[in-house]
Amino acid sequence: MTKSQLITIKGTKDGLVLRLDDHCAFSDLLSELKEKVQSSVLEGVSEVQLHLGHRYCDEKDMNKIQSVIHTSPHLRVSKVHSDVISLKECERKLIEKQSETYIGIVRSGQVVKADGDLVIIGDVNQSAQVIAGGSIYVLGRVKGIAHAGAQGNKDAVIAASWLEATHLKIADKIEIMTDELTVLSEQPEMECAYLQKNGQIAIDRLQELRYLRPDLATFKGGI
Amino acid sequence: MGEAIVITSGKGGVGKTTTSANLGTALALQGKKVCLIDTDIGLRNLDVILGLENRIIYDLVDVVEERCKVHQALVKDKRFEDRLFLLPAAQTTDKSAVNPEQMKKLVLELKQDYDYVLIDCPAGIEQGFKNAISGADRAIVVTTPEISAVRDADRIIGLLEAEEGLEPPKLIINRIRSGMMESGETLDVNEITTHLSIDLLGIVMDDQNVISASNKGEPVVMDPTNPAAIGYRNIARRILGESVPLMTMEKSKAGFFGKIKNMFGK
Repeated sequence: MTKSQLITIKGTKDGLVLRLDDHCAFSDLLSELKEKVQSSVLEGVSEVQLHLGHRYCDEKDMNKIQSVIHTSPHLRVSKVHSDVISLKECERKLIEKQSETYIGIVRSGQVVKADGDLVIIGDVNQSAQVIAGGSIYVLGRVKGIAHAGAQGNKDAVIAASWLEATHLKIADKIEIMTDELTVLSEQPEMECAYLQKNGQIAIDRLQELRYLRPDLATFKGGI
Repeated sequence: MGEAIVITSGKGGVGKTTTSANLGTALALQGKKVCLIDTDIGLRNLDVILGLENRIIYDLVDVVEERCKVHQALVKDKRFEDRLFLLPAAQTTDKSAVNPEQMKKLVLELKQDYDYVLIDCPAGIEQGFKNAISGADRAIVVTTPEISAVRDADRIIGLLEAEEGLEPPKLIINRIRSGMMESGETLDVNEITTHLSIDLLGIVMDDQNVISASNKGEPVVMDPTNPAAIGYRNIARRILGESVPLMTMEKSKAGFFGKIKNMFGK
């Protein structure tokens, strides 16, 4: 009877919620999970939300849990909630959230780098480079090279008052503006570049950014 | 205590040496005591443009290596009594013969005796450039209305802005052909200044006489009617602190009417 306390199952309108005990040994948890999954009597496919509490699970542990659950054809993990993250992940997230500001003109041959977001107040001239781990926002003209999400963040964007860069890079994708004039003729004013789902860099009006990357906004909700 | 101004451009052939010679001469014409330093060691030209080549005895390298006193190496331009001097570069060695500390010391010494020390910088961003800017208080960047020259000027301005103790550089746009600028074949003055976003010190028209005057060893600025000379004279006055309106529009209009006159003349 004591063993059965490790996993509690609750049915909600969004599917099953599995609350996993965060004090017991991981092996005990797995074996009980196996039992519960095999003894379950279900029809159709139910979505399962996992609540890990204060247990830290790395990718390997997560795979183990999921594979146990997926032994039943009726269960599918839809969401994983955890109250803890590793220090490393936390630091990475903090750095990515940080924003650095450069005021002045980035001139030919100069490189401005930031680990997180980068705000440039001034122009980025031809053959100058701005590189950021996060997104790049330029209050001025980008005429050189901009590389957002340099560490692989595919959600990073490049937004500028005037976007006529020769090269746009987001994560590991490069877009070469072979014909600067075509970009120019398409009104480079107030634009942003982002990585599409198909892996291509696209340019759109700045106004579209709130729909393209809603997570960039730190203000949520409103009156 | 005078002021040291370095004249630089990054790209070669845009008219650094011509500008140095003409500004030096123009400042001397205004009654200032001027010393020109040619830092283009190994490829010296300033002496030729000033027509002083055959009077060189010692040079810059002799001075920094203390083979002679500074005043022994200075070549006096006799056209300006005691107001225009040249410290020529050595021709037999290269840029590495001098280091920035030596240049700093030398320029400081010359500033005591002269109102203006104009330093003619070699092309490039290497040792020669570092030597030339090391002693300067101000910098003048020369460019032409070509994209390649403007790109290099941008690079140079970046390096100058990173240099401590140097005032923000000023811009001279050289070799302007008003016809080409009006028809949009070259960048116009406005485009260049907005792109580089530094103060414009002046513009100089392209003129054949600049070359012939240089060949004769008489800077073109000595001819007060020449359009390029007017440009250089205006720049010299602005260096002295006068506010002189830019001659762009007037000049180009004059060029336009001149053309019509020429057409009727034929």
